[in-house]
Amino acid sequence: MSIGTTLERIIRTLAGGMALAGGVVLIAIVVMTCVSITGRSMTSFGLAPVEGDFELVEIGMGFAVFAFLPWCHYKRGHATVELFVVRLGDRLNKWIDVVSDLLFFAMATLIAWRLWLGMLDKKSYFETTFILQIELWQAYAACMLGAAVFAIVSIYQLGCSLKRALQ
Amino acid sequence: MSRLEIGLWSFPVLLLLIFLRIPIGLAMFIVGLGGSYVLNGTTLMTFAQLKHMTYGTFSSYSLSIIPLFLLMGQFATIGGMSSSLFRASEAWLGHKRGGVAMSAVGACAGFGAICGSSLATAATMGQVALPELRKYGYSGALSTGALAAGGTLGILIPPSVILVIYAILTEQNIAKLFTAAFIPGILAAASYMTAIYIYTRVTGDTGETRERMPYAQRFKVLLTVWPVLAIFIAVIGGIYTGWFTPTEAAAVGAAGTALVALINRSLTLRNTVQAIFATASSTGMIFIIVLGAGLFNSFLATTQLPQELSTFIATQGFSPWLVLTIVLLLYLVFGCVMDSLSMVLLTVPIFFPIMSGLDFGMPAADFGLWFGILVLIVVEVGLITPPVGMNLFVINALAKNVSIAETFRGVIPFVAADLLRVVILVLFPSLTLGLVWLLY
Repeated sequence: MSIGTTLERIIRTLAGGMALAGGVVLIAIVVMTCVSITGRSMTSFGLAPVEGDFELVEIGMGFAVFAFLPWCHYKRGHATVELFVVRLGDRLNKWIDVVSDLLFFAMATLIAWRLWLGMLDKKSYFETTFILQIELWQAYAACMLGAAVFAIVSIYQLGCSLKRALQ
Repeated sequence: MSRLEIGLWSFPVLLLLIFLRIPIGLAMFIVGLGGSYVLNGTTLMTFAQLKHMTYGTFSSYSLSIIPLFLLMGQFATIGGMSSSLFRASEAWLGHKRGGVAMSAVGACAGFGAICGSSLATAATMGQVALPELRKYGYSGALSTGALAAGGTLGILIPPSVILVIYAILTEQNIAKLFTAAFIPGILAAASYMTAIYIYTRVTGDTGETRERMPYAQRFKVLLTVWPVLAIFIAVIGGIYTGWFTPTEAAAVGAAGTALVALINRSLTLRNTVQAIFATASSTGMIFIIVLGAGLFNSFLATTQLPQELSTFIATQGFSPWLVLTIVLLLYLVFGCVMDSLSMVLLTVPIFFPIMSGLDFGMPAADFGLWFGILVLIVVEVGLITPPVGMNLFVINALAKNVSIAETFRGVIPFVAADLLRVVILVLFPSLTLGLVWLLY
């Protein structure tokens, strides 16, 4: 097996694994919300809503969305306008891909770097959520996973488009 | 350069990047970042903002409704409700001329009530209805045209992802917006059926009809779609009564559609994983655009371009209706090349202040709802207009032996129906607002 396909497999597993982790959290949010609503509607029977349910939705969703980014980029599922470049020819188009992927890589790294610093901010302020007193830096740290894999996938995609352009 | 000039110049740069096939969210991100640099001479402020902006956006409670609605749509696709909707629709309409195509539109409307995305509706109903339409001898043009147009009902009939974004951008009440979308959505389904009725009579291009079913049997078939109705009532009713927040409603909807899929024995581990991947892809796409648009719009706000533009237009004494017409036409033109969500995120922060500064003879709250529905409809037309209408390609890919030219031709009556409907909704705001007045 060549290095190219092994690398492709690793990236696919990373991005896919992250997406699945995000999906599991998303489904957990669905279940938690339903439990919470049931609890809220049956307070007269001694049940109660899940404490801090809104906070859990926010933290879980932050993780899930970050976890979904690598898969989206791996699948190149972005919204683009394809109409005008068709005339530019094959070669120029391949270089446009390289520029596009370079910018994507820059954005992904910037997001990850800034998220890291944001996490350090929250850690130094000991900032917690209002009800559950969850330390916010931990939520940021969970998101770092997705952000890091996103940056890795964006390097890989840059490499792929560069290879195509140089061929 | 003055602030305003920098703001103005950002648009040609942004459009150039977008037309060079740079992903739209990325392009907005870069122009927002670059623009702030030109404006302030430094990126320090934007960089500081980015420390918490990404997390803040992705974990925002109001935006969390979007992945949940997407997941709900995926489970709805798995759940087998599309075929029961089509059977029920056929029982009532199948014996009319062009009836099977009308049934496809009707089923799309039903599916739209539990799915907030056009592409998912088009793809799901396409799989069920296309083989049937071809079997009854409908032409490639009519079958694919009707289904591509029917797919837009996914987003026109609440719940709707675009309306959620509009509500957040303009601080409207989501429940009221969903209510306002209801009658225009029904109108859309009716107008597509009318388009089929007229088209089949004028051109004679139609298929066989099915046998007329007795009413007792029709009602029996109609009963099989009760899960769709139950989920719709739980979601929309829950939001309306204030029993759930919109996000909770979306979670309930996702659970409901998953439950139906489970009961129908169509939920497997394999397609759950596929549903997650599909949700991941769409969520990633949407949130990158939302993030980029957030950065771009915050840059634009510091140039004060939107405020200046809105003051300028308000003091020029233009007719409000003329401005509205121009704005709606701009959406139609841009819709031919751009996807609806990017368009809404890019333009609503600019157009909304301009439009709310004009006097349409209605309270500001009403105007916000009415304009939202108009925008929703004109951006959705973009999904079925060549050359890049996504629904056309989704359906065309499902249909074997139908050329894309046929699909382009087949959708013309439906685009005409859309345009006519926009004019009607502009002329009669009470069609949109009536239900809101009645219920709130």
